[in-house]
Amino acid sequence: MPTYSIVNEKLLQIDLASEEVLAKKGAMIAYKGAVNFQGALLSGGRLSEVAMRQVAGEGLKLMKAKGTGEVLYAHHGLLVNLLKLTGERLYIESDYVLAFDARLRSGTEFLGNQGGVGGLVRGAMAGQGLFTTTLEGHGECAVLSSGDMIELTVDPNKPVFVDPQAYVAHKGNLSTSIHTDVSWKTFVGQGSGESFQFKFVGTGSVYIQADER
Amino acid sequence: MQTYTPDNLPKDDNINPYAFCVQVVKDFIIRKGKMIAYYGNLRFESVGSNVIDMMISQSFNAPSYGGDYIVATGRGQLILGDRGNHINSYDLEDANMTLRESNLLGFEPTLTCEECVIPGYLTLLGTGKILASSNGMVHFMEPPVRVDPEALLGWADCPTPSYHHDYAYVKDVMSLVATVVGLKTSGEEKQINFSGTGTVLIQSSESNLKGRSDLQSIIAQVSGLHQNDLQALSNNITQRLRND
Repeated sequence: MPTYSIVNEKLLQIDLASEEVLAKKGAMIAYKGAVNFQGALLSGGRLSEVAMRQVAGEGLKLMKAKGTGEVLYAHHGLLVNLLKLTGERLYIESDYVLAFDARLRSGTEFLGNQGGVGGLVRGAMAGQGLFTTTLEGHGECAVLSSGDMIELTVDPNKPVFVDPQAYVAHKGNLSTSIHTDVSWKTFVGQGSGESFQFKFVGTGSVYIQADER
Repeated sequence: MQTYTPDNLPKDDNINPYAFCVQVVKDFIIRKGKMIAYYGNLRFESVGSNVIDMMISQSFNAPSYGGDYIVATGRGQLILGDRGNHINSYDLEDANMTLRESNLLGFEPTLTCEECVIPGYLTLLGTGKILASSNGMVHFMEPPVRVDPEALLGWADCPTPSYHHDYAYVKDVMSLVATVVGLKTSGEEKQINFSGTGTVLIQSSESNLKGRSDLQSIIAQVSGLHQNDLQALSNNITQRLRND
């Protein structure tokens, strides 16, 4: 299987031994060895996923690297983080996906499926649209973040509240909803500016970054 | 990457240079929009918006900046971040500290916050914790020192500073002409002069905070404007751009 290693906080190295890896289009900065690059039509999912993604406008644009050698990836000076999945499903904004391989299956999730209307509002608030990318399986993936990524654990009696702009991804068995502090003050311009938060309840982890976009 | 639970989050300390966790026991005053996550039972109210923080208004004595700060009430762990700027905390014990308003991220209501005589700066008096963000690490210096106004983060226990204009700049006819016709001179002719004893805080970058929130809040407000107002705003901006 491909091995992922962090060269420095903004640079990722993937070693391939006649294997393939999917990575963000345009993020390859150098490679050694016999590696071929081609567009990845299926982006690690099924054909139906591609159709879904087209309809949803979820912009997971990937490039497939195949062969034997070392490939270096970096993107816009964002920090690179490695996440290990052990069977959970990771929900992540497509902009933040840097690389993954065949061990993980990608998909597109309609946010309305989790949390009903709340899910819709959630997508609209975070500016990521109503669809999000999912990765599922056993293996590693490389995720981008602007500012160090912080993992917050959620357990059933310790929900966590997150600012929509600081949210990067979440994994595990979590249900999301919009938490509001809205009162009449919000509408007369006396609001606290923190009126909408994502509330995560269940068991899993939420990833946030210090840099609000 | 470290995984955090409510039990192992730092208590009133940095999670990383860009994120800070505050243990809120009763109230904490923070700058609007800097909350990135929290555990526990917290509510966010604008300063002076209800009876509870009538008490807060005692400690927030800067009406011109009231709109920029909110009060986190309740119990919980509050994580603050400021667009990837460095965050530092300072503990005051019956002392005073003055900070640039845009860099003041939060403070305990045990402190009293007042407007400094230098516009754009806030003075905090008393005992308690202060959080401030800076573009780059903070450097401490002792007077006598002259500081670039852009790089100045604040000062503690010093007499209020004064502006110092470079002698050559004031005297030199050439630079006077240059200023009148709008040419840029060296850009270093105006400095802030500190004397006496105390500590001066300097950020290690000459530019202001990354991702200024001013712009964000202006853009947010534009959506409420009518056609005519938008036209007026557009004309104003075009005029400004032409002048620069």
